[in-house]
This record gives sequence, structure tokens and C-alpha cells, in this order.
Amino acid sequence: MTERALLVRKAGLLTTVQDLGRPGWGALGIPAAGALDPEALRIANLLVGNPEGAAGLEITLQGPTLEARGEIDLAVSGGAFGPDPGRLVRLRDRGSIELRPRAAGGGSARAVVAVAGGIAVPPVLGSRSTCVSAGFGGLHGWPLRRGDAIPVGDPFAPPHADAQAPELPASGEVTLRALPGPQAELFGDAAAALFYSSAFRIRSESNRIGFRLEGPPIPCDPAAAEELPSEGTALGAVQITVDGQPIVLLAERPTTGGYPKIATVVAADLGLLIRAQPGARVRFVPATPAEARRLRAEREERIGRFAEEVRSR
Amino acid sequence: MRAVGEFSWLLSFGDAEEQRANERARAAAALLRSLAPEGLVDAIPAARTLFVEGSPAFDAGVLAGLEAGGEALPPPPRREHAIRLHAGGEDLPEVCAALGLSESAFWEAFLAPIFTVGFLGFAPGFAYLYGLPRSLRLPRRRTPRIKVPARSLAMAGPYVGIYPAVMPGGWNLLGTAEGDFFDAGRLPPALLAPGDTVRFVR
Repeated sequence: MTERALLVRKAGLLTTVQDLGRPGWGALGIPAAGALDPEALRIANLLVGNPEGAAGLEITLQGPTLEARGEIDLAVSGGAFGPDPGRLVRLRDRGSIELRPRAAGGGSARAVVAVAGGIAVPPVLGSRSTCVSAGFGGLHGWPLRRGDAIPVGDPFAPPHADAQAPELPASGEVTLRALPGPQAELFGDAAAALFYSSAFRIRSESNRIGFRLEGPPIPCDPAAAEELPSEGTALGAVQITVDGQPIVLLAERPTTGGYPKIATVVAADLGLLIRAQPGARVRFVPATPAEARRLRAEREERIGRFAEEVRSR
Repeated sequence: MRAVGEFSWLLSFGDAEEQRANERARAAAALLRSLAPEGLVDAIPAARTLFVEGSPAFDAGVLAGLEAGGEALPPPPRREHAIRLHAGGEDLPEVCAALGLSESAFWEAFLAPIFTVGFLGFAPGFAYLYGLPRSLRLPRRRTPRIKVPARSLAMAGPYVGIYPAVMPGGWNLLGTAEGDFFDAGRLPPALLAPGDTVRFVR
């Protein structure tokens, strides 16, 4: 088979190679990285006949324009980008695709592009994911640039030309279910009541490290916060900065940190957050661990059903 | 021990002395890794805690004894490093003035102890070293820098650290350290690991 590749004609706003990340290196300060929306990556991979964890491209707000070298099947999941999101797209040799958002402003802010055969960059520490904050992994450690040639592997299995992927919701009004964070008690009842009753806006400075929210300042005793020793941070932890603003920590968060964390967003709801546009409204509602586990089980069931569906075709 | 997410937990070590609590967190991390329970995803020791992440297959019951049992464990394997440093950090004059020491007196006190890597974080390969004499401790700078040069040797509070790459930072810059402190293409990728000891030489 000839060497297949995708040439980057336009880079898009922030396009990175991502798989399911490299968890397990936290003790050396290395973030797991990986797709912010793992559900979208897994679904897109199933559409093109890949294993669920094959490396794809994470696209942000304004997707790239890609040109095929060789015949390449791809699929977009997680957002309405390009001509046919949620379905298989076949690029002929020299064919190209513009991954522009279809619904200006109203749709998803991020999506994942899976490519039959997977993005074939060499794995670093067990993963092909780009760690943008530290500049390693992916194609060259950084977001894609115009002129890059992204190597594409040999297809794993025939793709599923007539399958329609389940749609993942994107909204301008997001409600996130959250468990108590490690410092929930430090904030006290009044701060918790304010946190769980307020609407926050997603700031445009949000990135793969964390989503910065803006809203009424959540008070925390500054002396107690100052005393807080560094500790490991969970995916989805909501830390409160010194000026009382929440940051939801994501795939490239520092592995340890000393800001107080009032809550942890349940994993199954993180996709809602990362698909939401800058400026979207975010609310938090308290959840129980049992509920969080049930939500994750439901998500796994949804993906499992789709996997069954594409396999049985 | 408390759950901090669906599949993550924080074990706390309440010793009065932070370095002692950290020792126990590291010992508990080493024990957990040696047990290799099904579904263990990551174990991250820090100042006073051990953060544990599991997959849905992970049974948190295995963590129950670790908070109490950290004491009796043998120390995990560690490496000893001699790291060459060059004085001349941007904050050195200010640091010496604040401490009321001459530069030579500062370095004499700084070079005496053997430091221990307590934990990493903030950035890949950034180690928090314990062992700074109390007489040398200063808080972090009021205003952090946007760009700290790579390999900067710095201190803040009880910690000494080396910035592995150019990054923002608020610690007091003392000088430069020799070495490649993080390289994702190498195994292990970080030069310093929890439990390693460091002696600085000039």
C-alpha cells in the first residue's frame, strides 16, 4: 500500500492529534492528555472501522482543511463540522474536506475526526496524544500547522458506509452534575449554595488544561486556601481561583495543584461542557456517586450498542 | 480516605511535619503499585496525600489499609543525583538581602543538605525537593514571571525546584542547574522521581 497521508491546507484554530491519552505517568508530573471528548473519539473510530482508541484529530471552533494522499475514509463525531457529520466520508486521492462548523455559533465547539487506519504518528509514552502544554506527542508536539503531512495507517477493518452515529448534544445552556470536591467543606454552606445556584459563562481563555468560568465570586477563606498543600487533581475537578472564579480541570491539567476544589464534574457530563461554545451558560447541580456511576454505565451502554450495530452490518 | 470523583480517591497523611506525611504518601504509592490491583490507573503522591485513580474495574477496598499502614513499609528504590549548579539567578541578590546573608554564606548553607524529591507536578518533570534549611526559606514572589528560563534552580516556601522547560513561574530564581530534567522520548522521561535524593554541587 502506498503511504497515505492527510495534508493540512488550513490548520484550523486548534487541531491536535489525540487518542485516549497516557494515564499512569502522573507521579512524574505528566498529564494524561487525550481527547477532551473521548465518547466522540470512540464513536468516530467505530464508524471508520478502527479500534475505539485509535488516534484521531481533535478540532476546535474552526476545523482544518485536509487533502488526501491516497484514498482515505474519515468520520466526524461530537459536532456538526464538515459536509456530513456522524457519517462516513470517503476522500479520493487529492480530494479535500473543509471542516467548517455547519451551524455558526449554535453548534458544538469541538469535535473529533477519526481516519480509517488511525493517525500513524509514533506513540510517546504509550500514546499518540499531543500534550500541547508541554509540547510533545502527536505529529511534532504542537497543534497542526499549514503544510503538515499527517501519516495515516492501513485500515483496520472495512468502514461502515451506511451507519449514522448517535448524536452528542451541544447546547448554549449546560447543566453539569457534580460530586463534592476534596475541599468542599472548606467553602462552607453559603459558598456551596451560591456555587450550585449560579449561572457561569465559559470564558474564551478556556483550553485543554481547563475551562475557565465567569460568575459571582465563590468565597473561600484566603488563609485556609493559602495553607492548602499540593495534591493530585481529578479529571473534572472544579477549582476556585483566588478571585473566586471556577476552573474545570481537563485532560492536560497539572497532575498536582494547591487550589481548593469545591466539586468534581461527573465524567459523563464533561462532554457537554467541552462541546459548549465560549460564552455558553453553565450551571452545576449536586450528584451522588451512585448517580455518577449510573451515568457512566449508560454512556458505556450507548457506545456498546453502537459498536454492536456497526459490527452487525 | 475520601472519594473525589467516581473513580478517584485521596488518601491523607496527617503528620505534623509535611515531609514525614509525604514520605508515608510515597511509601503507600509504592506499596499500591507493587500490589498492582486490577483497574489501577494512576497513583500520585503529593505533599500530604496520595491521589489514586482507577477504572470501573478497580476495587477501592484495597486502599483501606494504606492510610494507616504507610509507616511500616520499607523505603522504595531511589536514585541518588549530584546536580551541578551555576549561581547568578535573577532573584539571588534580593534573596540574599531578604535573608541577611552574603552570597557565599547563602551557597554554603544551600549546598550542605541532601535534598529529597517529595513529589512532582505543575509541569512534566518538575520536582518538589524537601531539605531546604529553615533559615533559607522565603515565600514565592508576589508577582509570578510569565517566562522562567529552562533549567532555572528556584525556591519557594519549604521547596526547591528546577524548571524543566521555559514556563511561567513564581519561585525565587537562584541559578541554573545542569541536566535534562524532562524528555518524553526517554525512559524514564523525568530525571527526578519521588524518593530520589539530590546533592547540589558547584
